[in-house]
Amino acid sequence: MEYKPNEIKEGITLHQIPNDRFKTNLMAIFITTTLTRENVTKNALIPTVLRRGSKQMPTQEEISKTLEEMYGATFDCGVDKRGDNQVLKFYFESINDNFLPNGDENMLKDSLEKFLELVFDPYTDGTNQFKPEYVEQEKDNLKKIIESKIDNKAKYAMDRCIEEMYKDEPFGLYRYGYVEDLESINAENLYQSYQQLLSQSKIDLFVSGRDNPKIKEWVNQNPNIQKLAARKPQFVSISSKPKDAPVPEKVVQESMEVTQGKLMIGLDLAIEDTNLQYPTTIYNSILGGSANSKLFQKVREEASLAYSASSSYVKNKNNIFISCGIDIPNYEKTVEIIKKQLEAMKQGDFTDEEVENAKQGLLSAIKSVNDEQDTELMYYFAQELMNTKHSLKEYSDRISQVTKQDVIDIAHKVTIDTIYFLKD
Amino acid sequence: MQIVENLKVKEKVYQEKLDNGLTVMIIPKKGFQKKFIIWGTHYGSNDSTFIVPGETDVTEVPKGVAHFLEHKMFEQENGTNSLDVLTALGVNANAYTTNDHTAYLYDCTDHFKEALDELMDYVQHPYFTDENVEKEKGIIGQEIMMYEDYPQWKVYLNALEAMYHNHPVKLDITGSIETISQIDKDILYKCYQTFYNPANMAMVICGDFEPESLLEEVKKRLIEVKAGGEIKRIYPEEPDTIVKPKVEQIMEVSQPLYTIGIKDMAATQNTTKNPEELVKRHLAIEILLNLLIGDSSPLYQKLYEEGMILSSPTLEYEFSYTYAHLLLTGQAKDPERLLAELKQEINTIKEQGIQEEDVNRIRKTLYGDYLKEYNDVADIARMFLADYFKGICSFDYLEQIGSITVDYLTQILSEVFSEDHMILSIVKSDCQNASTKSE
Repeated sequence: MEYKPNEIKEGITLHQIPNDRFKTNLMAIFITTTLTRENVTKNALIPTVLRRGSKQMPTQEEISKTLEEMYGATFDCGVDKRGDNQVLKFYFESINDNFLPNGDENMLKDSLEKFLELVFDPYTDGTNQFKPEYVEQEKDNLKKIIESKIDNKAKYAMDRCIEEMYKDEPFGLYRYGYVEDLESINAENLYQSYQQLLSQSKIDLFVSGRDNPKIKEWVNQNPNIQKLAARKPQFVSISSKPKDAPVPEKVVQESMEVTQGKLMIGLDLAIEDTNLQYPTTIYNSILGGSANSKLFQKVREEASLAYSASSSYVKNKNNIFISCGIDIPNYEKTVEIIKKQLEAMKQGDFTDEEVENAKQGLLSAIKSVNDEQDTELMYYFAQELMNTKHSLKEYSDRISQVTKQDVIDIAHKVTIDTIYFLKD
Repeated sequence: MQIVENLKVKEKVYQEKLDNGLTVMIIPKKGFQKKFIIWGTHYGSNDSTFIVPGETDVTEVPKGVAHFLEHKMFEQENGTNSLDVLTALGVNANAYTTNDHTAYLYDCTDHFKEALDELMDYVQHPYFTDENVEKEKGIIGQEIMMYEDYPQWKVYLNALEAMYHNHPVKLDITGSIETISQIDKDILYKCYQTFYNPANMAMVICGDFEPESLLEEVKKRLIEVKAGGEIKRIYPEEPDTIVKPKVEQIMEVSQPLYTIGIKDMAATQNTTKNPEELVKRHLAIEILLNLLIGDSSPLYQKLYEEGMILSSPTLEYEFSYTYAHLLLTGQAKDPERLLAELKQEINTIKEQGIQEEDVNRIRKTLYGDYLKEYNDVADIARMFLADYFKGICSFDYLEQIGSITVDYLTQILSEVFSEDHMILSIVKSDCQNASTKSE
């Protein structure tokens, strides 16, 4: 059983991931559009209003009762940043027909229909706008979500570091938008934005679970799909584009009520060739991707400076982010140790064995991508946006081919962009 | 091996208690690449006062030893760290400590047997020195401080403190900087010898395996240890009553966090050593909480539309044979009003009775929820281990859902949902304090 992408109309793709090993069917709809200061808040608001009511299920209570009757099916939504795109994400999960206590239902077909209705056929009461009450309530809720940015201090530090690195650029925008935009949004102009989004964005529908030859037919014949027109989707295909010139190292310190200091270091990668993502993945793994990594070993195990010390590679933007939770007075010492590790990577101060170990970890992760429905789905979506379309096999092969010298070459393309420290 | 099959979820568990007392459970998952193993001891942060089998005196150790041991088990006499060795094999290894158990685990796609060598070697060979114990105090100290910055953790711990007078469940699993400073290698060895006896341990493995031959692989890696006797665990007497109805802490948060706790000591009296009763009670409480304030409840709709809450609270029932409580957790504009509304809703349902139609719907939801637990090899194994230490076979939840009647729900509603047993824990920032007063 193979992954099958199918273009339904130009700009709208159905991705089928047949899989009989799960108790559930998982479906996702991703609406991808360019990230702009003008639309970021509206786009973040749209999914929350859709969740309030659809044509057939005009209230949240009716939606909830319907989902509960479907053995606790779940409908979730959210927004994400993917490179310079904003992605509106919707998920619908329900149980696989093989596990229904009464065999007379068609859960997959019902789920698909309910899902498409929730995303594409909102409650408008026959007007050309969303229900004003829903929009006003969700504006209040979104305001609270935007304000809750400060609640998780480690995440806050990460968001702030990105904002400092990408001032006045799309990627520096907060994915939930801005409180000051909310005032001018109303049921009418939000509905217009929604219609515009539906006619211009890239739309991907994923169906993972029990294979059914009829899925494509169900989708094609669905009135909510039929009413969508073909489009040349407006989104930014993700490609590696480094900053024009290395920027001078910037240090930002802020104070908040914290017991532990949160240190973030944003690194720039001067790489252009998408094939270099493979050695970069290995580089990141050796630097801070596992318990064997330089950061974990030197910062936590040897110096006892932190409980957590790790790095993550954001392919979409050619960055690596280092994050540590440390005792506040240890700031200078920790930064110094981290800089030493970056230097050590340049000098090739790591063994072939470390390269092999990093590969083993990554290969193992790739092999088990099919064991989790959402991981599998996100893998194919990432490939879709990167426009690389590498199969899992190709991905593994390329990881296997990386050499120590390839990793050293990457190390020489790494520079510190911003050091961000959240202290008390 | 003994085989237990569940026809609803279409899974089987192969189980065997070995001569040394170790219980091994294997759940085959055909077609999965990922393999997962978890080896746990029935020893958690609650167990700091006990009688070692064969001794008569009571042993009391500082709070936080179980978690400290978990950290130190990875260090080997030859200078290597097992976490590094496992990571080098391409497996994801980890460990965790809860109130009632400690577990060591890894998942992998390849090198399962090499990793099994390492796991079973390090769990069976502790190596503690004065020096490595001292160094760990720095790392755990950072971990304790990290949790200090989590308002979600504080609101939870404060709720437990408001409910429990004496029971150690109210204490932080890690212990405090002060209690861990008293830990030395002798204490660690003593607790290890007591609680890491195979008779006090269980292993669960999930993945594409042939159970019988896998059991042999486990057996041949066991060192010879005689099954230990019963460890007598001593918990202080815990009254039914709560400590205080309300606890507040000031922290920088955008919107107040709340935990409503309902202490359920009746569970420890009514279900004594009867796992079936525990499962039924657990399910009944889940159904009742959903009826009261779940996604489709009138109360939730009302609170959501008023802007009081952004999502329905997280509903949990935490229990063992010596403590039990319900927790409703979330963020709310005014947690005190939320609690008042909840109390009123409880009274309304008590007066008007529980509707069969609503119960049927929630039962379906729970069926789906429990079924979903069987999608991932790691989730399955963790669930079987945690339930095992409570004497429960995880399949029982799916089997018992149908047996929860409206009568039984009505009985549990009046027994458990009493205002005397409720507490409210709030974490909010200074300015929210002022604004609530002015409202």
